[in-house]
Amino acid sequence: MAVQTRAAVEANRPVAPPRRDFLPYMLALPIILYEGFFILIPILQQFGSSFTSDVIGMGPVKWIGMDNFNRMFGDSKFWNALRVTLTFMGFTVIVAVGLGLIAALLMNQRFRGRSIARTIMTIPWAFPDIPTVLVFFWILNPSFGIINVVARALLPWLEQNPKWLLDINLAMPIVVSIASWKAFPFYALVTLAAMQGIPAELYEAARTDGANRWHLFRYITLPDILPTLMLLGVLACIFSFRQFALIFLSTGGGPGRVTETLVIQVYKTAFNSFDFSYGATIGVAGFIAVFAITLVFVYLQRVRAADEEG
Amino acid sequence: MTTLVSNPVPRRNNRTFRPLRRIPFYIMVLLFCIVTAFPVYWMVVSAVQPVKYSLSYPPPLFPRAIELTPFNDIFKATDNPDRVDIWIGNSIILASITTIICLVLTIVGAYSLSGRRWRGQAQFGFVLLMTQMLPEALILIPLYATVDHLKLKNNLIVVGMVDTAFVLPICIWILKNVFDTIPKEIRDAALVDGCNRIGVLRRIMLPISAPGLVAVAVVAFFYSWNEFLFAASLIGDKKLYPASVGLASMISMINVPIDRLLAAGLVFSIFPVIFYLFVQRYIVTGLSAGAIKG
Repeated sequence: MAVQTRAAVEANRPVAPPRRDFLPYMLALPIILYEGFFILIPILQQFGSSFTSDVIGMGPVKWIGMDNFNRMFGDSKFWNALRVTLTFMGFTVIVAVGLGLIAALLMNQRFRGRSIARTIMTIPWAFPDIPTVLVFFWILNPSFGIINVVARALLPWLEQNPKWLLDINLAMPIVVSIASWKAFPFYALVTLAAMQGIPAELYEAARTDGANRWHLFRYITLPDILPTLMLLGVLACIFSFRQFALIFLSTGGGPGRVTETLVIQVYKTAFNSFDFSYGATIGVAGFIAVFAITLVFVYLQRVRAADEEG
Repeated sequence: MTTLVSNPVPRRNNRTFRPLRRIPFYIMVLLFCIVTAFPVYWMVVSAVQPVKYSLSYPPPLFPRAIELTPFNDIFKATDNPDRVDIWIGNSIILASITTIICLVLTIVGAYSLSGRRWRGQAQFGFVLLMTQMLPEALILIPLYATVDHLKLKNNLIVVGMVDTAFVLPICIWILKNVFDTIPKEIRDAALVDGCNRIGVLRRIMLPISAPGLVAVAVVAFFYSWNEFLFAASLIGDKKLYPASVGLASMISMINVPIDRLLAAGLVFSIFPVIFYLFVQRYIVTGLSAGAIKG
């Protein structure tokens, strides 16, 4: 009946109606099937497994209701992991996006050797995680690391070399620094791209009106790149949330549990304690957090897109 | 600084002819570059100089002598099973599998997003975005359970397929952006000339987008090359380790000499660094214009 109505409506149109176009759907289908199989089904398995005694798909399971969740909410290790994740995330976002902004401001100037400087500043981003851990292990080695030379020069009263990654107070700042070293070039490149989209006439006009460098930054550059910076901030949250190899290989979540983020805890619960269904439960908590951050991201995208159009 | 200059022209001349004013700026740039480049520099220095210098205190800032034997040692299995050449071979196989599957799906997906808008396109974009945002570790447990249950562990193809699922969204955004830069007139002209839309993709879009396809291939290849979590959990056989897992296993062994370790790290990093720098423009526009705009 609906078809008939539509046909009737279309028959009355003066111009030929557009054919229903199936091609995009046919093209999107393989992607949806692929991601459904490798991402969506595991996510559903994960949600299901949080209510059962073992992981669904591995063998027989027993329904245990909310037991896993009750255990998680009473688990100080879980709350610790959440706190560690937020700390790591917060500091990495501020440091990495901040450094990215400064680097972009520097690279936005004309100067001799700019392309070399730009390439050098991009290298950490292209440098893989595991060699990064390796080289920082070497730099931070408590006996032979060159960091000790620097530390002794700056702090001559030190009686012995700090333990660096094994020091309960230093581990987190160091991991944040390594992650920021690796992440800031990308934020710099994106910020730089946004800065270069600002019309030069705006600056010329402002200079004519007597604006100084700070004014130019505060009233032209910053407002223009702010939507990009906010998006990058959210993106940086996600990137630091998912950071696994860097933390896992450099500290393994330790010393104690001071760098044990949520993803590390999921991994350790499953593969060190073989508590798969509880690991899946923590994974569900992580999934909800990521989903929330992604929604913020989409919201900011809309704001930025509207900004650009309006 | 705060003097009001009404005419911008002399002011600009001022800036050009007074390079001294830029000294603080150059110092800042230099400082940034040094801090950024030092870890990589240090890796190279410690890998190429004889290990006795690296272990002296304080270690020399510039290499005193060059000795390239560690680069040779890591490729020969003499006293340990760490065959870097076998691991690199595995990495090449794994990354090629990912690249091939990913290229096919990326072309299809990017083409579906680059034409006229369709109902559900926004939802499709959101699904891609969610996939891109999802931390790998959060679905490792169910994936591991399934792979283990189906007795598919120690299979590079499986790891390559899983890697593809994660790298696919960014690849699609990158290629979609490249497709979007092709003028609509060219596509329309081909349609008028009797080409169907698959023909337009094959004869027009793909040849023009060759650099974009290279960028996608590089991104997919080195995602797999660098990927650690899935490879480490789904591959247990040392002979099948990709280089990322092999290198990580070398780090956790205490008896590997530091120069050899760093040499292996350098060999592992050199390809991604060169290729990423080569295609960084595409990745940045892919992420900033594509994924960020949605």
